[in-house]
Amino acid sequence: MKTDEKKENKENLEKEENSCCAPDNGRRDFLKTAGVTTAAALTGAGALLSGSDEAEAKFHWAEWFQKNYRLMTDEEKEAAVTRLEKRYSEEYDKNVTVDRTEAKDGVLFGYALNIQKCIGCRRCVKACVTENNQSRENTQIEWIRVIRMEKGEFSQEFMDQGSPQISGKHGIQSGGHRHKQAGVVLEGQHYYEPEKVPEKDAFYFPMQCMQCENPPCVKVCPVRTTYRDPDGIVVIDYNWCIGCRMCIGACPYWARRFNWGEPNLPKEEMNPKTHYMGNRPRMKGVVEKCTFCVQRTRKGRYTACVEVCPVGARKFGNLLDPNSEVRKILDKKRVFRLKAELETYPKFFYFMD
Amino acid sequence: MKFSNNTYRSFFVLCAAILAFFVIGKADAACFECRENYTSVEQVEVSDELFNVKCSSKTGGVLWWGDPFYGTVPMGDMPENIEADYLSEPAVVKPRVDYEEGTSDHLGYFPCSNCHGVFVPTPRSSKDRKINAHQDVVENSLELKHGRGAIWCLECHNAKKRDYLTSHRGDLISFNQTQKLCGKCHGQIYRDWRDGIHGKRIGYWDKGAKKRWWTCTECHNPHDVEPAFKALVPESAPHLPRGMDNADHERLHVDHSGLSHGDVTDGEPTTASHGEAATDTTAESGAH
Ligand code: SF4
Ligand code: SF4
Repeated sequence: MKTDEKKENKENLEKEENSCCAPDNGRRDFLKTAGVTTAAALTGAGALLSGSDEAEAKFHWAEWFQKNYRLMTDEEKEAAVTRLEKRYSEEYDKNVTVDRTEAKDGVLFGYALNIQKCIGCRRCVKACVTENNQSRENTQIEWIRVIRMEKGEFSQEFMDQGSPQISGKHGIQSGGHRHKQAGVVLEGQHYYEPEKVPEKDAFYFPMQCMQCENPPCVKVCPVRTTYRDPDGIVVIDYNWCIGCRMCIGACPYWARRFNWGEPNLPKEEMNPKTHYMGNRPRMKGVVEKCTFCVQRTRKGRYTACVEVCPVGARKFGNLLDPNSEVRKILDKKRVFRLKAELETYPKFFYFMD
Repeated sequence: MKFSNNTYRSFFVLCAAILAFFVIGKADAACFECRENYTSVEQVEVSDELFNVKCSSKTGGVLWWGDPFYGTVPMGDMPENIEADYLSEPAVVKPRVDYEEGTSDHLGYFPCSNCHGVFVPTPRSSKDRKINAHQDVVENSLELKHGRGAIWCLECHNAKKRDYLTSHRGDLISFNQTQKLCGKCHGQIYRDWRDGIHGKRIGYWDKGAKKRWWTCTECHNPHDVEPAFKALVPESAPHLPRGMDNADHERLHVDHSGLSHGDVTDGEPTTASHGEAATDTTAESGAH
């Protein structure tokens, strides 16, 4: 790093340090009132105490006591990002950038997935892990889930297996086919592992964060560290997350993951192009989820899952642009939103040809 | 610390050697895009630490696109009298054949004119007949499935200029623009493809921004049309949550009456219900 930058950094660090002790602070108030001591808090404090190198300690200190990202001034945001870049670059032995591009006017991101096409190959899952620096072994985290759903089997053989079972009456209150899973969303298999996909008797249903327009996860977050950005992406400031997991409980789409352990991200696999709200390395004790690859999409690029899908089942674009791929799908195809009855209004649509 | 010139030199030689090793080592890595053994892409370091693709060690498929435009060429002229994105934004494709060089990475026999028109005569009649040749490429050439008997080779391949495909009027269609050919019959799908609904594009999502388009034969085998998309080996399943030995619970069908389906005898419950199994195993779950 150049000397001026270093100096600037140092100034920023000092600024941060001074601002750290400002008395009025929502998150810490919450912690106090709730009497909650999270694993994350302990880890952070531990890191502070054990930091033998003074500069490093200052560094962590500043990061630990930074404000809620949304309340930061522009300089504070810049300082936070620079601090992270430095830390990550050292930690991962490469030139890591932490972007903080904000939402662009006139853009509302939307996604459409053709469930007729999906073959359940899980490439999207792994592309997402590669792009978004999810934890690999031991504490594995995957943001996308692909659910294998059965086509169902209907035959004479089950006719007399109804319930209650009175021989010869073929069931009274429920019929023998009552557990045939055809078309039953969310009762499928997650750990399927056939030799090849697609299988004859199954279809596949990928799920990830739907970037709800009316996101319940945002409403329950007690420290408001997860919020909806103007382009419709629901983001998380990992530094401000207290790990209470309320959002995980609130999300009806099984979209959020918790870092129960120290994330395991090998240096050589780490993607150095990161965004503050997106794929920068996370820490133990915080929640994460799909951000529509905010680090890519805010710079115009398709998401990693869209690009990798071998059958082209995944489509992405600007919902405000009538000529975008998603809007054309909404115009021409039959679409549905998962669990629409919950009024979460996902911006993730499923469609069929 | 002071280094002699010599030390520097040997250092550079060493670096160069390591670099060369990596470059050569990396050039070997190739993965397939959509069709196994048919659409492959070599992994190259396009700039500092950035690779054009990352490959899956399990399946050999592309797992991640770093540089979406590596090895592509402009899509070229397309019909202008129809509404389509490629008229207003840069569209590129990965060439199946290189007409200037007369080579192809993907079509084994290219250029076809090496034989056709030289010692294989151009057929005088366009009437279909059974053909024994090329069964290595077209396994079912004697019973071509495509079109279920309604079409044969010269419906798609230009009779006189074998290095090209053909339109209804006999105009040449490049192997790199197969959509012009396939669109002759598959109009609905062609329209969806033009709108970006069918098929695949990578690059930049914004209107007017550059995209790489996949053309028909990059995903579909035009000779062996069933199934439309050939089965693949899936990437590995998620790890089971800590404390869960197997995923049997999700294979059992839910029976809210406390019976697991399939083990039902007259009124005699035999195994634990799905519900119980699920509660036991997810309690310590690490992945949920
Ligand atoms: S990569 Fe595409 S086909 Fe494969 S599981 Fe994901 S959505 Fe389905
Ligand atoms: S899918 Fe879940 S995590 Fe995503 S915005 Fe909706 S409620 Fe929040």
